[in-house]
Amino acid sequence: MSWKTAKIIFYAGTLVSLVLFLWLTVDTHRQVASLTHADQLGPEVIAGKVVWHKYNCNDCHTILGFGSYYAPDMTKAYWRLGAEGIKAVVRNPEKFTTWRKMPRIPITDNELENLVAFLKWTSEIDTNEWPPQDQKLRPVAGRAVKLGLSPGAALFQEKGCFACHRLNETGGLLGPDLTRVGSRVPYETIEKVLTDPRSVKPDGIMPPTALSHEETKAVAGFLAEMK
Amino acid sequence: MSVPYRTQRVAYPYFVIALLLFVLQVVVGIWLALSYAVTIPQWLVDVLPFSTTRAIHTNLLVLWILLGFMGTTYYMIPEESERELYSPKLAYAQLALLTGVGVTAIVGFIFGWTKGKPLLEIPFPLDWLIVVGALIFLFNVGITIIQARRWTVIQGSLFGGLVFLAAMYLFNLPFYNNLTIDWYYWWWVIHLWVEGAWELIAAALTAWILIKITSVPRETVEKWLYVELGLFLFTGITGTGHHYYWLGAPKYWLWFGGVFSALEPLPILLMVMDAGHYVRNRRMEIKGKLIFTLATGMAILHLIGAGFWGFLHTLPQINYYTHGSQVTVAHGHIAFFGAYVLLNLMFFYYAMPKLKGLEEFDERRGTLAFWWLSITMMLMTLAFSVAGVLQTYIERVMGMGYMTAQAQMRFWFAILVVLGIVLLGGVVLTVVDLLTLRPAPAGVKSKTG
Repeated sequence: MSWKTAKIIFYAGTLVSLVLFLWLTVDTHRQVASLTHADQLGPEVIAGKVVWHKYNCNDCHTILGFGSYYAPDMTKAYWRLGAEGIKAVVRNPEKFTTWRKMPRIPITDNELENLVAFLKWTSEIDTNEWPPQDQKLRPVAGRAVKLGLSPGAALFQEKGCFACHRLNETGGLLGPDLTRVGSRVPYETIEKVLTDPRSVKPDGIMPPTALSHEETKAVAGFLAEMK
Repeated sequence: MSVPYRTQRVAYPYFVIALLLFVLQVVVGIWLALSYAVTIPQWLVDVLPFSTTRAIHTNLLVLWILLGFMGTTYYMIPEESERELYSPKLAYAQLALLTGVGVTAIVGFIFGWTKGKPLLEIPFPLDWLIVVGALIFLFNVGITIIQARRWTVIQGSLFGGLVFLAAMYLFNLPFYNNLTIDWYYWWWVIHLWVEGAWELIAAALTAWILIKITSVPRETVEKWLYVELGLFLFTGITGTGHHYYWLGAPKYWLWFGGVFSALEPLPILLMVMDAGHYVRNRRMEIKGKLIFTLATGMAILHLIGAGFWGFLHTLPQINYYTHGSQVTVAHGHIAFFGAYVLLNLMFFYYAMPKLKGLEEFDERRGTLAFWWLSITMMLMTLAFSVAGVLQTYIERVMGMGYMTAQAQMRFWFAILVVLGIVLLGGVVLTVVDLLTLRPAPAGVKSKTG
């Protein structure tokens, strides 16, 4: 091989790849705003990202699949846990972990709200349907219609119960699946849980629902029918 | 025999510190494997979480590999330029600065002082001190080359790689509001280092050592260097795209990343053939069987780790399931070991005997250490891979949940704890051997042909 050929391979190879890469980078910048819903990227989301870095979450958890592999991926954490679920775990990690522990961190309520905003925004990034295991949790538009038009079903949706509970393959994993709850738990117990969760399960993590008396009856009635 | 230029001696403390950090890195690595295998109590996790020890493990790796590169560069530049280094004092100051920053950063991690970005945790203002250290280095090497007015392809490739390395670090400095953009440029540091800048430096330093210990003419070596670097950069630059499949970038990255990274093993394959070429051409009387063993081992494990494991893992259809799993960890360990750990050990075994004035040294312990390390690291890679396949299948394909998969992987991490301890033995043997090199005993000598 001559010097000339060797030099051509070096310069042509490097330049072709470099130009292509820079061109794709420019185009990626053009598209990234819509792929990541950058219009939703408000000050709380950015403050939440600062919190994410501050407690070095990323050296145990992956996000977008990057980081360390010691704990679950956080890309779609908002789909899995919902706002309340994320807050509950971060506040009291020792209640949610068994043989592998998560550290208790001195996070403030404000920081936690921002962290949730950041993870909510992250869950909306178009990741080409990655990660595979979380795709079944994708929030479905028009979920209330599928549940029928009862006022209890509408309240279940509106008040964010789906964040922790699942119905018919939809919803969070933090609380029990309620698809057939009516066949296991009587109406009275459901009503009691909705009024004061701790009265039924003292060491439980479910927050008080803040439903009115009428609303409680409607939701309990709806769930008792889930058989 | 001693070194021809007095200022080459600045390399020695770089090597010593790099080796000590290597030992520490592996010790911390054993703790990480243990954290996967057994339950660390909550009170201990609260004060020393996995995230902290992981940051220490990876930062030690980057620090010692870079100190090794820098030491080797300082060793090589006077001989290649045929003049003394511009300023040995600056070289020592740079070492003190970088080691000081590294140690401060690691102690800082323990107290929660972090930037919170994986592998690039070193916070402000320490990261700017690293930039200062890098500039001192580039200045010192650059002035030496310029004053010598002796331009060689090897110098060009080395200096180009060092400038490339320093320039890419700058992408780590801003705060990015958008997480997708943040990771997009994070890979400009990490990927374009290990599959760009570091390859340039590695190829240049390896080419130089091979010129020194074989009879292959410089012209042939430098022509090969051009071709290899052309292929490395052609596949490596756009190959960055294999990190852009699932982070919120356009879909075309699946094609560009997939095709270019599928080509990435080509230059490595060329390098292996190249190594074979050197082995066939070496003169019988030239010393340094261990250097050849290390060079060949490096080429082969580089091909297995970066090439084969990398090729499989970066195909988009496979990466959809293996991305961000222990398969990544398996690839990371063997690729770094094959490409950069053995490379540094080869430099150390070339330069350290000469710095101690040894014409020939007893290679038996070093050879044992090479096999010890290489076999253990290969077994570790297999254990990580089994854990990774279990994780991929249980968590990703079956969708049975993260911790369900982790429970099935615990056994393999227990194995990794044991393998880690075995590896530590090999590392200690290597370090002790390099620090206490002995002249070759009569009878073992001259079996190097």
